[in-house]
Amino acid sequence: DDTFLKISIIKIMHRPPNKFSPPGGFRRADHQIPYLLCDSREKKSLQCLRICKEYSSEVLLQLDPFLNELTSMFEKSKEKGSVWVTLKRSSLKSKLQKRKLSSAGESIEYRCLIRATDAKKTISTSVGAKDHQRFQASYATILKAHMTALKKRERKDRKKSTEAEKKQGTSTTTKPKKL
Amino acid sequence: MVYIVSWDEFVDRSVQLFRADPESTRYVVKYRHCDGKLVLKVTDNKECLKFKTDQAQEAKKMEKLNNIFFTLMARGPDVDLSEVTGKEPMETQPTKKGRGRKQ
Repeated sequence: DDTFLKISIIKIMHRPPNKFSPPGGFRRADHQIPYLLCDSREKKSLQCLRICKEYSSEVLLQLDPFLNELTSMFEKSKEKGSVWVTLKRSSLKSKLQKRKLSSAGESIEYRCLIRATDAKKTISTSVGAKDHQRFQASYATILKAHMTALKKRERKDRKKSTEAEKKQGTSTTTKPKKL
Repeated sequence: MVYIVSWDEFVDRSVQLFRADPESTRYVVKYRHCDGKLVLKVTDNKECLKFKTDQAQEAKKMEKLNNIFFTLMARGPDVDLSEVTGKEPMETQPTKKGRGRKQ
């Protein structure tokens, strides 16, 4: 099981330990949320994780299911909400695995990690050197199809309308303006 | 957070930032359909470059930046970007010879 951070749970508490305050401050419902006190092996320190819906797990998908889920995220976020897409270079290996590979003299294969979230759920996929062009094309199509709320340039319309004004002496626009 | 006004400056600095630290640099795109706003961010967790827009034509430019980052991240920071940006064509087109009338 590849995990970036190995955590072993020490105990489950019903209230946060004294010195812990969650990022973003306490909220009313905090006392109802169970806390996990755990030992994070990579950092060798005690950390407290709060189980709440914000800490939803990230789902790693294959390329095509990812694209389908991304499309549905855009569709769901039309009335309100945002969609974030993050691109990052990653080998998808933990520090330990990287150390082992480099000491064995093997080259680490990097991929492009793509994450998408709508603040409710997070999906991700990774793309290698061979498949990035195919993915790039499908991804561009999805973005083009959904980023339709952006304003279209009206300079050309204004130019044409001013030219028409000079010729005709009336202020009529040649192209219909987009609402 | 200060937003970069010039698109070209944003692209140049982002690529520079990535090449300097490919391990920790990430490229984030945030789109809000209800507000019609698009925000791009490139950060290496030390420095942050941001660009925001509400124009459709900038979305087209963003597509090219997406391609640049996909290539850089999947293949490596040392990849030659001329194929992606199309700024430096591989072969120059042969000049057309003037039409000479046959006499």
